[in-house]
Amino acid sequence: MIKLICFLCAIIAFFVIISIAHPTGRKITLYAVLIVVALIMLLPFYLMFVMSTLSTNQIYSFPPILVFDSNLITNFKNMVEAVNLPRAFLNSCIVTFSYVFLVLFFCSIGGYAFSVYEFPGKNALFSILLVTMMIPATAGIIPWFIMMSKFGWLNDYKALIIPGCANAFGIFWMRQYCQNNVPKELMEAARIDGCSEWLIFFRVIAPILKPAYASLGIMQFVNQWNEFTQALMILRKEKYYTLPLLLKTMVSDRGTDYGAMMLASTCAVLPLLICFLCASKFFMDGLTAGAVKQ
Amino acid sequence: MKKISRRDFLKGSAGALATAALGSTFGVSALADEVSDISGTIEVGGWPSGDDAFEAALEGFNALYPNIEVELVFTDTTSHHQALQTSLAAGAGASDVAMVEGAYIAQYRNSTALANLYDLGADAYADDFVEFKWNQAISDDGTRLVAIPWDIGPTLFYYRTDIFEECGLPTDPDEVAELLSTWDGVLQAAEAVSIENQRWFLPSAIYPYEWLFINRDYYDENLNLILERDGDLECLEACIKIRENGWDMNVDMWSTEAYAAYEAGTCVCVASGVWFSGFLKTDIDPNGAGHWGATVLPAGMPSTNWGGSFLVIPEQSENKEAAWAFVEYMMCTSEAQNAMFGAVDYFPAYKPAWDDAPELYSDPDDYFGGQAPNAIATQVADEIPTDIFNTIMDTTAEGCIYSSVNAGLEAGETAEEIRARLGSDIEAACAELKEQQIQTLKDAGVWSGD
Amino acid sequence: MSVKKRKGLLGTLYSYRVAYAYIAPFFILFAIFNLYPIAYGFYLSFFRWDGLSQMHFIAIDNYKNLLNDVLFWKALKNTLFIGIIAHIPILLGGLTLAYILNSKMVKGQNIFKTIYFMPMVTSSVAISIIFMNMFGYNYGYINYFLSLFGISNVNWLGGDGSLIKVAVIVMFAWKWIGWNMVIYLAGMQGISNDIYEAAAIDGASKPRIMFNIMIPLLKPIILFTLIQSTIGMFNLFTEPYILTSNSWTGGVNNGGLTLMMYLLNKAPQGGTAYGYASAVAYVITLMIMVISLFLNKVMGDNEPKPKKERRGRK
Repeated sequence: MIKLICFLCAIIAFFVIISIAHPTGRKITLYAVLIVVALIMLLPFYLMFVMSTLSTNQIYSFPPILVFDSNLITNFKNMVEAVNLPRAFLNSCIVTFSYVFLVLFFCSIGGYAFSVYEFPGKNALFSILLVTMMIPATAGIIPWFIMMSKFGWLNDYKALIIPGCANAFGIFWMRQYCQNNVPKELMEAARIDGCSEWLIFFRVIAPILKPAYASLGIMQFVNQWNEFTQALMILRKEKYYTLPLLLKTMVSDRGTDYGAMMLASTCAVLPLLICFLCASKFFMDGLTAGAVKQ
Repeated sequence: MKKISRRDFLKGSAGALATAALGSTFGVSALADEVSDISGTIEVGGWPSGDDAFEAALEGFNALYPNIEVELVFTDTTSHHQALQTSLAAGAGASDVAMVEGAYIAQYRNSTALANLYDLGADAYADDFVEFKWNQAISDDGTRLVAIPWDIGPTLFYYRTDIFEECGLPTDPDEVAELLSTWDGVLQAAEAVSIENQRWFLPSAIYPYEWLFINRDYYDENLNLILERDGDLECLEACIKIRENGWDMNVDMWSTEAYAAYEAGTCVCVASGVWFSGFLKTDIDPNGAGHWGATVLPAGMPSTNWGGSFLVIPEQSENKEAAWAFVEYMMCTSEAQNAMFGAVDYFPAYKPAWDDAPELYSDPDDYFGGQAPNAIATQVADEIPTDIFNTIMDTTAEGCIYSSVNAGLEAGETAEEIRARLGSDIEAACAELKEQQIQTLKDAGVWSGD
Repeated sequence: MSVKKRKGLLGTLYSYRVAYAYIAPFFILFAIFNLYPIAYGFYLSFFRWDGLSQMHFIAIDNYKNLLNDVLFWKALKNTLFIGIIAHIPILLGGLTLAYILNSKMVKGQNIFKTIYFMPMVTSSVAISIIFMNMFGYNYGYINYFLSLFGISNVNWLGGDGSLIKVAVIVMFAWKWIGWNMVIYLAGMQGISNDIYEAAAIDGASKPRIMFNIMIPLLKPIILFTLIQSTIGMFNLFTEPYILTSNSWTGGVNNGGLTLMMYLLNKAPQGGTAYGYASAVAYVITLMIMVISLFLNKVMGDNEPKPKKERRGRK
């Protein structure tokens, strides 16, 4: 214990001293902080990748293995044998993409309306919308399920797509963005040109909303891609399973092949990470411009 | 108020029902040799390895019922029960036949969302099944039977023969039972096999105490919590010593960490229902043939049942006839039960199966180095008490044993203190469930409390 | 907006038809798919129902029993403890990192931002399993690291249950720190440079600029993130559930029992007390609302901005 504390103190002292001594030292300190935090953030991902190349017994051995090993092929074989990953991947794509598409459409028109139009009851309606964001969905999960089964939506992706596709958070988000980024002059100009309200939205406003589409899109994509509770209740047959359900089937009381499971997790997470990495600039811009300015 | 015991009620009404059921829709189908023309598709839901089991017996079923198509819908145990529960509450979406784990049966026993199998002719088989298991599926008012027992789990004590041998301990089941017949013997063995931070006697020191309770009689019929058992304090004292000396891994026996340790031989002993043999063979330690042994529970603990499942038919099923045909074939024929026993070690609750293929139950098992754990299980099965009382609080109470006893052990408490702590923890965790259970018993007209 | 004046209420509403048409999808879908279930849930909260047999009206007994349940209070205490402690690294860490990245002394802003944000994009199931391995007792990475310094194995997830919270806090902070950092950074970048320059000319030191100028200006943003992670805190379930090996009571001594776990354990995931669970859900909802209002009041009071909004997250 003492050894550890001394070690940490020494490191901290070192950086404090060099940052006081010289501007370059300070720069090094700042980088050191950023890099250490970055490593902490990346560590679990790294371990996930490492574990997907280990056998279950290697994962549970001491000392723990920190570098890649050769069990990837075996894990892959076990995974393919155990589950139909491409099918689940396709299912996840169907659910997520159609959901995100609808969310972006409905939420952008809704948020836009709350932002630029004046109409009776606007404030009251918006307050209602805000309050709805705070109610945990769990409150109504049984009646919701009864309803889905009455609609005949069991084993049907509609149940996962339709109910949430015009959600309060999305409308709120879009409203914030419109508030800050939609110039009213532009709308007036378009009106004078004789554009209908629909056309104004699609021709003039929608292009301005691109960063907001990106940020909201990614957030909703992530939520839906990882959605588990509702999917578990609705999708009962393996051919309909989305990725989180598939991962769950790999965990068994009879012993879980953690290597294969980690590989499957990697396969489930990786596309999302790649998408995010590619779109991260858009995404961050959307956040910057939308969420935070009042 | 006159007290009507639940069991008195059972005896009375079961007899009346047996007569009534003769005139029911399907009557007693004797599973004749001729091919049946019942048709349709049925969905069967459960958790692994139930699917492997059904697949092993499906050929026989299809020979009798060529027009019934069976679709297996399987997921992990928790998800399965959750989905089943939600579907029953919602009145739609359940499969036509569903597996129910023994621990959950109390909450389904009185459910009208499940078909009354007496109406389908189940009473004909009442005497063929292990009594305590059959009784667990009868509603509290005795008028309904909601499930057919599949398997029972006579509890066995599994141990690594290779490690025992290495440490100079006996490996023969009888000798091991003899060695472990007292707590002193257990502690000696624990000391002998343990190496600090490398090898442990048990996954957790709490388990010996849990074995005293597993699956039964946490509450009496007036729903008073009953924690006093013969020898429970001696047992707790042994638990305390095991923890103090670091002879346990201090992890959950179902954790992957523990599984890896069973396979590696770093966790040497574990007790469970006999279905655990199947876990060992196919999943936990598939290459472990020859280094596992099994015997009865140590220190003279009473024989007990651990787990084992049931099949139910939800009332909402649209093809109950086919569903019953499936249940009847799978559960109530030696042919199917033994095929499934052979495939996944689900020890049949259907007694005729034991006599029908005696070799399955008495022959030496290569995986167990020529021992015959199933023979021991048969003997344990005979000794399991028949008047077990189950409540919906049981699973929660069982969960409390793990956490509360662990908490007590970590806090260095005495055996009495741990027992007291456990008592108040269970009462707290089960408060609402108990209210619900009282309500259910009231609805059934068998509640004799205040 | 161009509005044709007409007589009568319907006429007025008609003239705003475009706006109503745009917001209609939300309210229609909400009414069908949320309002009915939620209202029905409220109705259920006055009943005792196991989902399998008949329902019994018990008035407000569910609420009464809830307030008398020691586990409920334990869960509330744990949730608040985890939430409050975790907010220290989330807030301070987030602000510090944002400040560093905003200071123009370092390059690679986008790379760091992206890396810090990654935890938010991943499924908590997979990540929880990895944390479980990191915090493992006999084979854990962290214990291995500690053993290099001669520290004997720490039973993070078991033991007497007190360290489960540490693991949960680490996970919670790990997940939210990047999100907060990105938002703070966005806010800092939104503050005009003129303000800093003016302050610098007046001779204000850097820490003074940070505390007297930047933080007050960031208040609405901090409020936004606080309310978001408060809701995140009340929804905390998967992480402690998996870390305690799927224990519905939060492991030893209920160390990891959170409110959401308590709720789900009653129904629909663990148990079958649907009426009781509905009551719990309503109490939790109420608490989220009260805390949000409270934060809004405290944080927003000396706020120069005319407009104040209650914020939340999906």
